[in-house]
Amino acid sequence: MTAVDMQNVIKKYGSTVALDSLTLSIPEGQITGVLGPNGAGKSTFFKTLVGLTRPNQGDITVLGQKPSWKVNRQVAYLADQCRWYEYHTVREAVEYGHAVFPDFNMDKAQELVLSLGLANDASVGSLSKGQKARLQLILCLARDVQLLLLDEPFSGIDMVSREKIIEGIIQTFSNNKQTIIISTHEIHQAESLFDQVIFMDQGRVIMAGEVETLRQERGSIENIYRGLFQ
Amino acid sequence: MEVIDVAGIRFALDLSQPLWEQVLHQIRGAVARGELRAGEKIPSLRELAGQLRINPNTVMRAYQELERDGLTETRRGQGTFITASQPKITEIKISLAREAVQELIHAMNNLGVDKKAALTLLEEAVWQ
Repeated sequence: MTAVDMQNVIKKYGSTVALDSLTLSIPEGQITGVLGPNGAGKSTFFKTLVGLTRPNQGDITVLGQKPSWKVNRQVAYLADQCRWYEYHTVREAVEYGHAVFPDFNMDKAQELVLSLGLANDASVGSLSKGQKARLQLILCLARDVQLLLLDEPFSGIDMVSREKIIEGIIQTFSNNKQTIIISTHEIHQAESLFDQVIFMDQGRVIMAGEVETLRQERGSIENIYRGLFQ
Repeated sequence: MEVIDVAGIRFALDLSQPLWEQVLHQIRGAVARGELRAGEKIPSLRELAGQLRINPNTVMRAYQELERDGLTETRRGQGTFITASQPKITEIKISLAREAVQELIHAMNNLGVDKKAALTLLEEAVWQ
């Protein structure tokens, strides 16, 4: 089954073309990496999936439906920016997630807080950037939804936090087999996570495939990326 | 390459080669060398994926292949175990030894050393 399907999707911001007849298909129950330089259209791609951005043209299907608030009940979206109530403790932030999302799984969230090394009583304002990123990811991963969209979950984060985030994603995926789509520049650290990979440039797909097959044929994903964008 | 020890099995993964094959080969190797014994439990799929930081589907593919080869058995609710069959383990050992011999022959061919000369070298070499 296909989790996400796009056919000739065009999105323009004024004269800038963000998505240039983007056509792709992402399978269900796998982890797909979306890779490409800044400005490739990765964030716009995510935004169109959750209906934050409407395309000028083209067809988008998410979990078999057109993007809408109804489909979004089955989607957890980790955006590239996030705001917090700084006076919340980690526990209160998690409880807030529980209050906001009907599908929020408190047990899963507590397990992740523990395994990602956050203290329940720490105030959100006192957390480092990396720790905040871990907390943000927990609020996403703890939702019992079919589709997880993680836009740059590792960017600007220390190595230990990146490793923790990767472990959190693997833990969640092991248990639930959701569809996960991740964009990242941290290819070396993240490539062992992916089943599928999509390389984007200038709003288009320039290469896509099954990661283990690509490795067999062309070597590491990091090397392929270098070859494509250097 | 980073070496990661998971429950006594050493893994070193090279991202330029398919990962599932490396997981498969490294578990096979550990059995052939006796680092994993007959009947011994191996890490759960989830545990191995978590510690190696790789996709659980990758580990699953390797585990399915191990089971198909008869090198492991999965017992419901208990986990995955190395086969108790000694002949099976010997078979794996012989097949890995054959692969090593093929590599040696390949290296000798590249050097232009023929079978007779290579056998003499093997006889002369110090075996421990």
